[in-house]
Amino acid sequence: MNFARLFTPVACLLAAAAAHGQTLVFKGGERWEINDPFKIDNSSIPPKPVFDKAKGVINAVKETVDRSSNQGGVEVVLTRKLSEVTAIFWPLPARLAEAQNNVNRGENQKALEGAEAVLRLFEPVKNIPGSWWANAAIVKLDVLDRLENDQAIGTFLEAFEKTEVAKQPDVAVRIQMARLMQRARKGEHEAVISESTALISTADGAEVQARLHLVKASSLFATKKYEAAMNAYLRVPVFFGSAVEYVPRALLGAARCFRGMDSPALKEQKLEAISNRYLYDIIVTFPTSKEAEEAKKLLPKEERARAEADQKKIAAGGPLPEGVIMAKPKLRPEEAVEGNK
Amino acid sequence: MLISESRTYKLAKATLLAVLIAVTPVVAHLRGQTKPLPTAEKKEDPLAVLYKAAEKSLEEKKYKDALAQYEDLEKQATNVEDKLKAVVSFRKASCLYLMRDWSKAEAELTAFLTKYPRGTDDFFDNDNRRGVAELTLIEVLSSQAKWDAALARLEKIRSNNLARPEDRVNAFTLSAKIIADRVKNEPDDVKKAAYAQAIALLKQATAAGINTPERREAAYKLVELYTKLGLTKEAAQLKSEIDAKSNGSPAEVVRSNFQRLEIGDARFAAAEQAADESLRANFYREALSNYQGTLRRANLTRSFGKAIESKTAELETLTKSYPKPNAEQAANIEKAKAEVEQFKKIETEFAANKDYDAFISYRIGLCLLELKRPWESFVAFKDIFENSPNFSRIAGTYYYYILTLRQIGRSTDAQAKCKEFLDKFPKADETSAIGLLLGEISQDREEFPEAIKHFQWVRDNVKNLTAETAEEIDFRIAACMFSQVDWAPAQKAFAEFLKKYERSPVRQQVIYMNALCWFFQGKYKETKAAFDLYQTEYPKGQFLPDVRYRQAIVKFGTAPSDIPGTLQLCEQWLKDYEKDRTDEVINQTPEVFTLIGDANIRLTEEIDKKIKAADLELREHSKSADKAKYVEAKAKVEKEKEILTGKAIDAYEAAAKSARTNPQALEFVLGELRKMLPGRGEHKRMRDLFKEIYDWNHSDPKAMTYLYEVIRSTERMGDMPEFGQQAEKVQKNFSAKLADARKKVDELERRDKVTKEELDAAKAAVAKLSKELADELAKVEDSRQLSIKLAKSRALKILSDSVGETLNDRTQEGAEKLIVFLAEKISRKVKRLKPGVKPAAGAFTSDDAAAEMTKLLHIEDHRDSVVALARSYFAVGQIGIFTRESALTEVNFGKIAANFKAEELSPTILAMVGEHLLIKGDHKKAGEYFGYILEHGRASELADYAFAGMAEISAASKNYKEALSLCNEAIDNNILMSKELEIRFIRARCLAETEKYAEAKKEFEDIAKTKEWRGEKTAASLYWLGLMEERQAAGNKEKLAAAVAYYRRCYMTWKKYEAWAAKSYLSSAKIFSKSPFGEAKDKADAKLILKEMLEKDRIKDTREGQEAKALILSL
Repeated sequence: MNFARLFTPVACLLAAAAAHGQTLVFKGGERWEINDPFKIDNSSIPPKPVFDKAKGVINAVKETVDRSSNQGGVEVVLTRKLSEVTAIFWPLPARLAEAQNNVNRGENQKALEGAEAVLRLFEPVKNIPGSWWANAAIVKLDVLDRLENDQAIGTFLEAFEKTEVAKQPDVAVRIQMARLMQRARKGEHEAVISESTALISTADGAEVQARLHLVKASSLFATKKYEAAMNAYLRVPVFFGSAVEYVPRALLGAARCFRGMDSPALKEQKLEAISNRYLYDIIVTFPTSKEAEEAKKLLPKEERARAEADQKKIAAGGPLPEGVIMAKPKLRPEEAVEGNK
Repeated sequence: MLISESRTYKLAKATLLAVLIAVTPVVAHLRGQTKPLPTAEKKEDPLAVLYKAAEKSLEEKKYKDALAQYEDLEKQATNVEDKLKAVVSFRKASCLYLMRDWSKAEAELTAFLTKYPRGTDDFFDNDNRRGVAELTLIEVLSSQAKWDAALARLEKIRSNNLARPEDRVNAFTLSAKIIADRVKNEPDDVKKAAYAQAIALLKQATAAGINTPERREAAYKLVELYTKLGLTKEAAQLKSEIDAKSNGSPAEVVRSNFQRLEIGDARFAAAEQAADESLRANFYREALSNYQGTLRRANLTRSFGKAIESKTAELETLTKSYPKPNAEQAANIEKAKAEVEQFKKIETEFAANKDYDAFISYRIGLCLLELKRPWESFVAFKDIFENSPNFSRIAGTYYYYILTLRQIGRSTDAQAKCKEFLDKFPKADETSAIGLLLGEISQDREEFPEAIKHFQWVRDNVKNLTAETAEEIDFRIAACMFSQVDWAPAQKAFAEFLKKYERSPVRQQVIYMNALCWFFQGKYKETKAAFDLYQTEYPKGQFLPDVRYRQAIVKFGTAPSDIPGTLQLCEQWLKDYEKDRTDEVINQTPEVFTLIGDANIRLTEEIDKKIKAADLELREHSKSADKAKYVEAKAKVEKEKEILTGKAIDAYEAAAKSARTNPQALEFVLGELRKMLPGRGEHKRMRDLFKEIYDWNHSDPKAMTYLYEVIRSTERMGDMPEFGQQAEKVQKNFSAKLADARKKVDELERRDKVTKEELDAAKAAVAKLSKELADELAKVEDSRQLSIKLAKSRALKILSDSVGETLNDRTQEGAEKLIVFLAEKISRKVKRLKPGVKPAAGAFTSDDAAAEMTKLLHIEDHRDSVVALARSYFAVGQIGIFTRESALTEVNFGKIAANFKAEELSPTILAMVGEHLLIKGDHKKAGEYFGYILEHGRASELADYAFAGMAEISAASKNYKEALSLCNEAIDNNILMSKELEIRFIRARCLAETEKYAEAKKEFEDIAKTKEWRGEKTAASLYWLGLMEERQAAGNKEKLAAAVAYYRRCYMTWKKYEAWAAKSYLSSAKIFSKSPFGEAKDKADAKLILKEMLEKDRIKDTREGQEAKALILSL
C-alpha cells in the first residue's frame, strides 16, 4: 500500500477506462469505438474532453453517433443511429463513480450533477445491455430522496418506472423504496408501516435495511406507537450498526420514543434519563452529525454541557464513558495483540 | 524518526505532486486578463502569456524556472482579483514543495492559507485548493520533523465540520501515518502504543464504511498496521472487505463475511475469559462491531449464488480458452475448479445451518447485555423470538431475555416470559434458573404470596431442579412467609429447613430468622431459647448485634418486665459496639437508643402511680401540720419522673440523630419527640433536632416535613415561657396591691359616713393600679409579640435559605413546592380587602409581600441564574394567587412568558404558567411550554397539564384529530393526575366534533354522572349531550325533544354556569321556534323560555342574550 492511493482514484479509474475502451455494437455486429466524454484533457485551455478522431462521438440530442473516416484520401463523417445499438461495452464511467463517492460523502448536489451527466449520455440507449443509465438513475433517485425533493422524485419516478430496466428486481426495490419514502413524507403512515414491513423481509444489504427500518420507525412514531417505533429504531444500531450513516438518526428517533413512552406511572423506569443517554451518545459519538445538533437541542442544557465536554475529552483521546458502545474503541497495543491469538 | 529520504514520504511527495499537477488544469484561464479587446483580437494578454509559460515549465518539471516565472507574474499582476493572486501563490508553493525547499514552501503555503480564506475560489473548478494546501503544508511540516505542528493542523481539519468530507478522512489517515512513521526507529513498546493510536484514528476514518476512495485508502493503511501488530485475522478480513468493495466480487463478500464472524467469535471468547473488566468490555465491543458487520442469511445466500456463478464463469472461460492447456494453465483450471467446489461445499453447509441469523442476534444480544445496553439487548433477543423461534439456543435466549426485561424494569413481562418458558420447555437445563427468577421477581416486588406460589410451583413441577436450587427455593419460600409477617408458618418452614439442610450455607441466617419468628409472635420464652442457640453456635455471628438487642427487648417484654436488665443490656451493647462502624451496627444503634427511651418511659409510668399516691396523701393531709412533708414527698417523686423523662427524651434524641440509615426507627422516635418536646416548651431543642435531620438530605421525600417542623418550632420559639412567667409576676405584684385597694373601696362603701371625695379617691387608686397593671402586662405582651415576630422572621429566613439552595437548579422540582410554601406564609400577613377598598396607611400589602418575597429569595445572589429569576417571578405570582390579586399574578406570569424559553424553566413553572397563558388566550406561548413538557417531562407530576393544555389548544384550532390523539395518549398511559376531568371533557368534545356520537355520548354521560366532578363540566356535558342529539336529529321530532330535555336539565340545574345555561336556553327556544315544531303552541313555549332566560341578570347581556332578544321579536 502506498500513500499515492490517497489522491489517485480518479486517475486509476481513467486508466482502467482507457484500457478497456468504450465500444458500441450495432445491428449486424459492426463495432465502433467511442470517445469517453468524461475523460478530460487538462492541457487545453479551457480543459475539454479528450477527443480521438478515429473514435465516434455520441450526440445524445440527435441520438446519433458520428465518426470521421478516411475513405480514399477523403475524410467523410459516418453517422449511425443510436437506436441501432444492440450492445454496449463501457467501463464504469468515472463521472458515475465519482457521483457515487459524492453520495457517500454526503455531497448531494455534486452527486446529482454527476448522475445527470451520465443519464444524459446514456438516455438514448438506456435499455441496451451494458448501458449505465439504470445505475445513474439509481444514484439520482438516491440523491433526490436524500434531498427530500418530492416533486423532482415524482417526475423522475414516473419516467423511470416506464423503462425496461425498472423491471429488474434490484431496481424495482429501489423504486419501491423511493415511493415509500415519498409516502412517509406525505404522512401516509399506516401504508408506510405495512409496506416497509413487507420490504424489510425481502430487501438486501445493511444500508437498505437500515433505511427501511428508519422509515418504518418514523411512521410508527408519527402514529404515536412509541414502543414499536423504539423497537424499529433500535434495530438499526443493533443489527445494521455497519450502516453508520443511519445510526445517529436511529438513536435520535429512539431517544424521542423513550420520551413518548414516558409517564408518571413509569417514572421508575427513568425513561427520560434513558432518552438523555441516547442523546448524549449521539453528541459524544457522532459529534459532527446533524443529529448531534438536534440532540443538543433536545438535551436539557445541564446535560448538554456535560456531553459537549465529554465529547471534547474523547476526541482528545480520553476514555470512553461507561456504556458508550458506538464510538470506535481506542486499542491498547497489548490488548490488540493478545486479542488475536 | 522519519528522515526526508524515507520511502513512504517519497511516495507521499510524489502523490502530492500528482495532486498538484493532475487535479489542476495545467493551463487555465486567467479570466480577469482574458477579456479580448475589440481592437486586439489576436494579441494575447502578456500576463496570460507569462502564466502559460510558467505552467509549461511546471509541467516540464523545470521547477526553478517555473518559480521564477510565477514570481515575475506576481510582481506584474498587482492589480488583479484576489483569487488570481491566490493561484500564483499556490503555484509558487507547489514549485517550492517540488524543489524540496521545505522552509520556503512552508512560508508560502502558510501565506496562501492565511491571506486567501477563499483560496483559489472557482478558478480551477469547485475545489479552492485550500484542502490540498493544508495537506501539503502538513507534509512540509512533517518533512522538517515538525510533528506536533503537523498533527495540530490535522486535528483542526479532522474536527472542522466545514472541511470537505474527503479532506477530513484524509486528515485522519495522514495523522495515523505520521503517528506511525515518527516512531519508526523507536523501541517496540513505543511503536505498539503509536500503532494503537494510529489504528484508533484509522477506525474513525473508516467508521462510515469504506465506500469512497479516501476511506478505502484509510482501510489499506489499517490493514498495514494490523499486519504490523500481528493482527492477521483483522488484516485479512479487512483486505477482503476492501477488495469486495473495490471490485464488487461476491466471493470476496462471502469470504469477508465469514472472516468477520470468525473475528467476532474470537473476540467474544476472549471477552468471556478476560478477568479485567475494561479489557472485557473492549473485547465485547469489538465482537459486537464484527457481528454487526456480518450479512444476514438472505443476503448471504444471494452472495453465495453470485459467487458460485462468477467462479463457474471464470472456470468456463479458462476451459474454453485453453482446450489443450499447458502445465501452468492446467493448474489454474484445477485451482478454479477447486474454488467452485469449495464455494459449493460452504454453501451446502451454510444452507444446513438454520441458526445462522439467530446466532448472530444471540451474540449481539449478549454483547449488548454485557456492555450495559439492556434496551438494545432487548431488541436483539426479541428478534430471535420473532424471526427464529426454533433457534437451537432458544432456552438460553429466554433466560437472557428475561434478565434484559428485568434490567429495563419490565418485571411483569419478565414473569410472563418465565412462565411461557417453563410451560414450553419443562425439561430444559435452564428451568431451575428461570423458575427461581420467576419467584425472585415477585419477591423483589414484595408480592410475597405470588412469589411463594411461583416457588412452590417450580418445586412441584420442575423435575430436574438441582439440589442447590431446591434448597434455595425452600429458603426463599420461608423468607417470603417471613416478609409477609406470617410468623407461625415462617417459623415452621425455617424449622423444617434446619432439619432438612443441616449444612446449608444459610444456616446462620435461618437460625436467626427462626428466632425472629418467635420474637414477633411475642413468644419470649421460645425467642430467648432460639437466640441463645444462635449465640452459642455463632458467638461472632453477623447478626449478633441484632440478637443482643432482641435479647434486651425480651427482657423488656416479658411479664414482669426486667427494666434494669433491659437497660443494662442496652448500655452494654452501646459500649461494646461504640467503635464498630459496620452498617448493621449503625442501623441497630437508633433502635437500641429507642429501647432505652422506651424503658425509661416505662419507669416513668411506674412513677406516675407513685405520684398519684403521693397526691392523694397530700390531699388527705392538706390541712394537717405535716403537710410540708407530703408536699416534699410528692415533689421528690415528680423530680424522679422528670429525671427519667429527661433520660427518655435524651435517648430518643440520640436515636433520631443516629437514625440516618434507619428510616423506620427515625419515624418512630420523631413521633415520640413530637408528642413530648412541644408540651415541655422545648421548641429550640425541637428546632435544632429537625434542622439537623433536614440537613442530612434536602432532596429526601420527607425533607419538606422536617422543614415544616423546623419552621413551626422556630415560630413557637418566639412565644417563650418567660413571657408567661413575667406576666404572672406582674399579676402577682399587682394582685396584693389591687386587693388592698379594692378592699379599701369596699370598706369605704360599707361605712356610713364617708365622703364622696374619699370614695372617689379610693376608686381612683384602684383604677390607677388597674391601669398600671394593664400597662405592665401590655409591655410584656409587646415584648412577646416582638419576640414572636422575630421568630417568624427567623423561620422565614430558614425557609428562604432552603429555597435559595435549589433556586438556580432547574431540575429540582421541590424548589417550587418550597416557594409556594413560602408564598403562602408571607401572604398570610396581607389583610384581605374587599374590591375597591384601599388598605390602611402602613398596612402590610401584597406589594410589601412581593418585596419581602424577592428579598427572601436572595435573588441578588443568583443574578446569573435564569431559572432563579423565573422562580422569583413565579413566587410573586403565587402571592397574587394567595392574596387573590390577579393583577399581581398576571404581571409576574406575564414576565415569565415574555422573557423565558421553555428550556430555561422547570416543569412546575411551565405547567402553571402555561395554564395561565392558555386561559389568557396566548396559545402560541402556552403551546411552547406544554410542548416542552411533552417532550422532556412526561414523567413529571404535572405532565397532565401539558396533555390537557395541548389538547385544548388543538381543539381550539379545530385540529380535533390531534387533540383526540393527545387525550387518548394521556388516558391510555394514565397521565391524568389532576386534569382527568379536563382531558376527558376535551376528548368527548373532539369525539362529538368528529361525529363519533356514540362514544362522545358515553363520555359526556360519564362526566355528567360523576359526583366528584359536579360543576361547570357537568353543565357543559349536558349542553353537549343536547347539542349532539340536535345535530343528529335531521328533523326528527323525538330526537329534538331529547335534545331539549338535555338543554332543560342544563339550564334548570346549572344556572350558575351562565355560559352553558344561556346556550341551552337559546338552543331550546330555537328548536321550538322552527319545524318540525314551530306551531303557535311551540312558539309560545319558545317565548316563555326566552323570557325566563332574559330575566337572569347574568345571562341577559351575554351574546346569547342578545340573540334571544332578536329571536323573541321574531316569534
